[in-house]
Amino acid sequence: MIQTVAWITSLIFMSFVVIVFGIVALKSKEKRDYEPIKKKWYKARTFYGSVLVIFMLAVTIYTLRDLPYNQPVYGEGSEPTVVDVEAFQFGWNISETEFSAGEPIEFKVTAADVTHGFGIYDEDMNLIAQTQAMPEYTNTVYITFDEPGTYEILCMEYCGLAHHLMIEEIVVK
Amino acid sequence: MELTAKSRNSLVAMYLSVGGLIILAMMIFGILMLMAQGGMLDLSPAAFYQFLTIHGTGMVGAAAFAAAGVMWYFLSKEVKLSKKIFKLNAVLFLVGVVMVIIGVFSFEYASAWTFLYPLPAISANAWGITGALLYLFGMLILGIGFLLLYIDTGRAIIKKQGSLAKGLGWDVISGKKEEKDAPTPTIVASTMVTIVNITALTAGAIVLIMNIINVINPAFTFDPLLAKNLTFAFGHIFANSIIYMAVIAVYEILSKYTKRPWKANKPFLIAWNMSTVFTLLIYTHHMLMDSVMPTWMLIMGQVLSYANGLPVLIITAYGALMIVYKSGIKWDMASGLIYISMFGWVVGVVPAIIDATIVVNQVMHNTKWVPGHFHLYMALGACAMLFGFMYYLAKEDSAIRTNAFDKFGLFGYTIAILALGGSFLVSGALSTPRRWATHFPDWMAPANFGAVAGALAAIALTIYIIHFVRYMMMRNKQDKDVEKISA
Ligand code: HEM
Ligand SMILES: [Cu+2]
Ligand SMILES: [Cu+2]
Repeated sequence: MIQTVAWITSLIFMSFVVIVFGIVALKSKEKRDYEPIKKKWYKARTFYGSVLVIFMLAVTIYTLRDLPYNQPVYGEGSEPTVVDVEAFQFGWNISETEFSAGEPIEFKVTAADVTHGFGIYDEDMNLIAQTQAMPEYTNTVYITFDEPGTYEILCMEYCGLAHHLMIEEIVVK
Repeated sequence: MELTAKSRNSLVAMYLSVGGLIILAMMIFGILMLMAQGGMLDLSPAAFYQFLTIHGTGMVGAAAFAAAGVMWYFLSKEVKLSKKIFKLNAVLFLVGVVMVIIGVFSFEYASAWTFLYPLPAISANAWGITGALLYLFGMLILGIGFLLLYIDTGRAIIKKQGSLAKGLGWDVISGKKEEKDAPTPTIVASTMVTIVNITALTAGAIVLIMNIINVINPAFTFDPLLAKNLTFAFGHIFANSIIYMAVIAVYEILSKYTKRPWKANKPFLIAWNMSTVFTLLIYTHHMLMDSVMPTWMLIMGQVLSYANGLPVLIITAYGALMIVYKSGIKWDMASGLIYISMFGWVVGVVPAIIDATIVVNQVMHNTKWVPGHFHLYMALGACAMLFGFMYYLAKEDSAIRTNAFDKFGLFGYTIAILALGGSFLVSGALSTPRRWATHFPDWMAPANFGAVAGALAAIALTIYIIHFVRYMMMRNKQDKDVEKISA
């Protein structure tokens, strides 16, 4: 799950930051000339900077391969089900709410009044996909539910006092 | 009007004390929100969203105000700034704040601080025209104050350096000028903030006026996607400028405490030029879930957000570590908070960069992961710089001493914000949406944990403020000779 990966990656790097700042703080009491320190650590910086840039480039390329904006390539003869979604203060108009597992779906999401957010949650209440629901515009979510179950739609953009009550169910058989 | 050290210190102390007090008050609302989300406190949705609106607006406004005080303190030692405009900004700030408070609490206005068009006009009868106009005009007045301030800093920098480009050291980067004649870090940072905030405030003024027109006459409508772009251009840049103003205190204080120079060399200048460009461009990382946006802009949003981490990770934070390493630095409240602030900034950058990844953003956007990372670098990064500066100023300007309480405050604050930020991040990893007045039972525990952590942070800040107020009372008493200083 992406959330777990994000959380663990964050923890690793954040712990690394804690350690580095901790070591430097511990070593701050000693007193040495600045010039040699500068010389040594500027050199180290060139190395560290290069590693960081290369690492970021690699992650960038890796994570940009497959973007949620692109229509997936559907198999021969499997047309996606197009579902119209309209958010309003305070609820959802969804043209179809029952699907079958493995069926490719395109949610066409818009809003009647203000901006809302269309977030799809699985049975364990993990957010699995989302897009903004905006007046005058239509954003698309491409998704195929692999697991049968009851999924929930939650509002992900603050839209007024009943924002947290904008919950709807969809069922995957 | 001649600027004396004494009048500089009183004006700046006023900025910091107002900022600090508002931040403390806003913390209380933050704690109450978490208690409501955690089920400990029964709060009506109307009250919750008013608290959310005032907390976001008040925190960003007050931290920016105090940070402007820090920047003005150091910049006014190098260029000739207008005292009148500095005072005028304070007056407009207070007028704006009062209007916002009345709009939110007397007229129940609750659009969140992002006032995303057309929400101010279309509230489903939660608030009316008066509340919306009080809030939007309040923000506009406050913004005009800041705009005047940056026009003045820009003017003064141009007068001293020749141009804003030279303030960013272009002539040094191109080799026309030697590194030893480079502008000081204070000038470089101030130039960057001047450029980005004049842009941000202009975008903000336009979108505020669009909203105002739409509130007065709903028949006038605007393109919601354009409004959203302007809103985030304003909000992202302005909120981020806080740390770029406050970091001046890091440069000045650490180099003074370690007796090691922190000079602008070429890498430093290139880093700040990168920060300038990236800060202006990366607001699109707030719109990664708008697939109607041109895809290249969203890809840029990810790529430049990553790149935006480089200047701080490779230059500023690295520089802070290098200057402290084996320096024999004397740790006190000022140097301690300043060091912690660099730590807070870097720690906050990690989850921010991760969230700027499009595939991650699809399941993290508008979850509590977002307040998770920005509370780390706003509360532990930017605010610790402000509080560190407050201790620095008090020490420079009076004979006041710190005590065991202050020390407790230093450790208490660090632990509290780490715990608060961590609790937000856990909530985000659990998919808890942000800006929800109530939480499902599974989502409550981190909110309650955060509320306790928040209370500790508020206690620590109270200690800082008591110290600062004691200093201000002391300096009022000791009627020191007015020492003239030349600009
Ligand atoms: C005791 C310390 C603090 C506590 C307990 C606290 C708590 C909160 C809570 C509960 C939220 C709403 C989260 C949600 O969306 O569900 C929030 C949002 C926010 N906080 Fe804080 N906060 C604290 C300190 C700060 C500081 C120091 C700053 C900045 C200088 C800050 C800036 C913000 C901003 C900008 C928002 C976003 C408001 C919005 O979503 O419209 N907070 N905070
Ligand atoms: Cu909503
Ligand atoms: Cu941003």
